[in-house]
Amino acid sequence: MVDGSGDALYTDASEEQSTPCGALLTSDLISANLLDLVLRRCSGVAKDWLLRSVSSLDSPLDPNIFGAAYAGSRRRLGSEPFILDADEQAALKGSELLALSQHPLDEVCRIALLSRASEYLPTEDYSSFISELYLRGDNFERQALLRGLIYLPNPERFLSTAVEACRTSVQVIFEAIACDNPYPWRYFLEPNYNQMVLKALFIGSPLVRVVGIHKRITPELVRMAKDYAAERQAANRSVPEDIALYITKNPGVRYEAI
Amino acid sequence: MKLFDPHIHMTSRTTSDYQAMADAGISAIIEPSFWLGQPRTHVGTFEDYFLSLLGWERFRASQFGISHFCTLSINPKEANSPSIAQGVLELLPRYLEKDGVVAVGEIGFDNQTDAEEHLFAEQLKLAMEFDLPVLIHTPHRDKKRGTERSLELVSKVGFPEHRVLIDHNNEETLPLVLETDCWAGHSIYPDTKMDELRMVALIQTYGSDRIIINSAADWGVSDPLKVPKTVAAMFEAGLDEQTIQTVVWDNPVAFFGQSERLDLDRDPINQSQLWEGNSVLRGQEPVVEPQN
Repeated sequence: MVDGSGDALYTDASEEQSTPCGALLTSDLISANLLDLVLRRCSGVAKDWLLRSVSSLDSPLDPNIFGAAYAGSRRRLGSEPFILDADEQAALKGSELLALSQHPLDEVCRIALLSRASEYLPTEDYSSFISELYLRGDNFERQALLRGLIYLPNPERFLSTAVEACRTSVQVIFEAIACDNPYPWRYFLEPNYNQMVLKALFIGSPLVRVVGIHKRITPELVRMAKDYAAERQAANRSVPEDIALYITKNPGVRYEAI
Repeated sequence: MKLFDPHIHMTSRTTSDYQAMADAGISAIIEPSFWLGQPRTHVGTFEDYFLSLLGWERFRASQFGISHFCTLSINPKEANSPSIAQGVLELLPRYLEKDGVVAVGEIGFDNQTDAEEHLFAEQLKLAMEFDLPVLIHTPHRDKKRGTERSLELVSKVGFPEHRVLIDHNNEETLPLVLETDCWAGHSIYPDTKMDELRMVALIQTYGSDRIIINSAADWGVSDPLKVPKTVAAMFEAGLDEQTIQTVVWDNPVAFFGQSERLDLDRDPINQSQLWEGNSVLRGQEPVVEPQN
């Protein structure tokens, strides 16, 4: 996983409109690049399986065939970290695909498959395909899908899936959308974003991993965070340091409900 | 000694049960999909149930350091709801490929109807297609005949016997199962099915080869600690440690390992970060870069 704020890896929402995915890569180039990078890391039966799975995808996409390839990726390829070598990093210079470095190999494979699927489905069917795949995914499948959203064409279409994911009680799924992922920064409306940040504080997901948070501090978010701090203090509980570090920017303050 | 409870319905149990199980040495469990006490009225309910077994329940178990796997199926009782059963059968292929699914089950007979036999056979075929072993439930009523019919169907479909676990055995059915290459499960219950001392006697008579025990704990009167309690009874009766370990660890690992999906080495999901109610993560010193 990416540590640190990771903001430098991602372009701003406003820049994003002029340079999709920050690297002028179209979706077919993204899927070709990613599949190639994944294949380089596979051998033997794993490689055969992936080649066979990719060639079984066709237009119109059969969701059951796709579902089997997507589900099998972790078991067939394993989840060793996907580490880009110097040449690969140079070739991807400026691309947000660089942010996938260190992610589990199966997750990168699943993102490549999602990207490939977009070529085999009519545009109008793709967002329902994504929401159905999320619904029917296990914890790992859901994490890969959420991390992959920004690499898919027109990511704003998947807002409802991304917001829905914040309702999960499984921390690793919540963190797949809330942490090290620029999606909420770019596409969430203020109420969605604020609720996500408050939930991160509640369940102990560090705000240092919430991409772009310093650009999404609003008076409403400050109020919510202060109220939460006051509530903790009233109950003689510790106040998460992240509130002062990232939201109120006022370490050492004693909070009172506003 | 690490313990395996290869048949327990954790969806019906509490976090206190998980804690007690972990404290008693249970480090891996299998949750077969089953009957929830009343018939379901929509296919979609099964889909949510499968998703819960693959998602939320695995996560919940990981919070207590327990590896959770599942088996999926339309169970024998609900095989008798034709419109529901067919829909679930069509849903299964979408789920059987997923990680953490280590068998098709529970399948088998309840009232031994034609509908049950049809679904039983269809699911044996699905298990072959997805390269999975099967977990077969044996009925409470007319148990011996139900066991015989199950073994006959396995043979008729041509399903490999060494990939079959016949569950809920008793003194009457165990010899039938051991005549084949199938494995034999025993559910240790407070009152019915099988108890600790009878189980000890069975192992003394038949040995430990292909013998498996479980708690089958669910929403009824049952006990999630029956595997450790039976281990205690086995030690008390003077069974040697290797025999006990064979029954409560090696055998379930060998049987469900045939799925090639029983990944016991895998770390529970972010366990170190999530342990103790997330406090570890909050206590970590995050790398803080200057803002603004």
